[in-house]
Amino acid sequence: MSNEVYIIGTGQTRFGEFFDLNIGDLASEAVSKAIENAGIGKNEIGTLFIGSTVSNSLSQSSIGGICTRSCSLSSNAYRIESGNASGAAAFHHAFLSIKSGLYDVVAVLGIDKLSDYVQNGTIEKILASSIDYQWEYEMGATLTGLYSFLTQAHMEKYGTTLEQLAYIPTKNHQNGVLNPKAQYRYSIPIEKFLNAKRIADPIGRFDIATPCDGAAAIILASERYIENKKPHSYKVKILSSAVGSDTLALQHREKLTELKATKIAANDAYHKAKLTASDINVAEVHDSHPIGEILAIEDLGLVLKGEGGKTSVEGLTALNGKITVNPSGGLKARGDPFGATGIAQLIEIVEQIRGNAGKRQVNDVQYGLTQNVMGTGVMSYVSILGRGEN
Amino acid sequence: MEPPKIWRERKERYLGIGIMCEDCKKKNFPKTRICPDCGSENVKPYKIAERGTLKYFTQIMNTGDELVFNTPYVVGLVELEDGIKVTAQIVDCNFKELKKGMKLEQTFRVIARNGKEGLIKYGFKFRPI
Repeated sequence: MSNEVYIIGTGQTRFGEFFDLNIGDLASEAVSKAIENAGIGKNEIGTLFIGSTVSNSLSQSSIGGICTRSCSLSSNAYRIESGNASGAAAFHHAFLSIKSGLYDVVAVLGIDKLSDYVQNGTIEKILASSIDYQWEYEMGATLTGLYSFLTQAHMEKYGTTLEQLAYIPTKNHQNGVLNPKAQYRYSIPIEKFLNAKRIADPIGRFDIATPCDGAAAIILASERYIENKKPHSYKVKILSSAVGSDTLALQHREKLTELKATKIAANDAYHKAKLTASDINVAEVHDSHPIGEILAIEDLGLVLKGEGGKTSVEGLTALNGKITVNPSGGLKARGDPFGATGIAQLIEIVEQIRGNAGKRQVNDVQYGLTQNVMGTGVMSYVSILGRGEN
Repeated sequence: MEPPKIWRERKERYLGIGIMCEDCKKKNFPKTRICPDCGSENVKPYKIAERGTLKYFTQIMNTGDELVFNTPYVVGLVELEDGIKVTAQIVDCNFKELKKGMKLEQTFRVIARNGKEGLIKYGFKFRPI
């Protein structure tokens, strides 16, 4: 038996600032919706994997018990941390737990609550925990400062322009308008991005994804379970889930014009799914900074290396372009509750494959891909999903 | 900022001490117990070069608590004369005067402050020669 893994249910809160909700409230909404969507009983869940970034640096690092109590689950729970890619990391481990044959049904929850913390202070310190805290952050760098170096390296080698970079959040905000779960459901003209104050030159203050609150949950099931139980909802097959790594600090890398971790993860993911980049119809990638999306589409092989900026402006990655990138609005327009982001990316691909994406539905989706990045690319997670009939 | 951590990092922060591998001859900063390149345990302390060139730089407007007192400040990726690269602040010049490829030298400065009455952390920054 090949022991394939399927996604049978999804649930998500809207992303944004929810001052009256705590971690448990957010977890409960996402998990309850996912369980309902999967049409299963709570007691069928073998274990809960939680992807969360922030609770590590604050008072309650063990949030497993908080989440199981709030969701009224009797299963055990693991919290998995992988910086901004904690959601994807939790999903990867949930996938492995079924692949191994240990569990038949597991829930994976991505969650973070960032509206409690101030920008220009605590948020930068939290983000610094996924770069080299000692020898980058304490020396003066921030995550955005380091993304500025990546941006400069790309501009210098490939002639990527500020206009091309500003096109990325412009496009993602246009998509975000169509996503009811997005934090920012309005478009922003490209001039706003270009004329904004530089917060880490050449990165402007509107270019960056906003940390916010949110939770997203997915129910995974084994092939064995599906054959016996046949849940109502349309199942989506996980064709592969892969991870690549690189050095933590940029100063230890040979080149800054690519994300090596993404290349490694992508190659492994394509190989295991028996697909190539040209088979992918839709992708959700880590656009925390505009260069992030350009590096992602290049290093995933969706466009030629060095042409990410140019081909984006030409409309290749727009909604229903040759390959739709970030139809959800990406981290930029959807909002970025760090741990929840990786799961929200997967949910968007599931909705696209199920044909439930409403006004942002991409035509005839066979295969979709997600890419979630920790820090400046120390870990990169790539997953490929396909139709359940495969 | 924890006193034991500041004390533990004194050689690296105050003197720029990294390691050189006796087997593969590669130099690394910060120090590790074994060589990150070849895995050899045969490493000895090595003082990194005090001069280098500016590879990339940016002006930081938003940062974490301990560094906010200093904003806006410039941070750069500096390639030292011995090939080691470090991330550090660039001081004694305006952001607009800086150019990629500029020659820089190490200078000993205050790195972070823990409020008005807390610990002061020192370390190296760079300034144009």
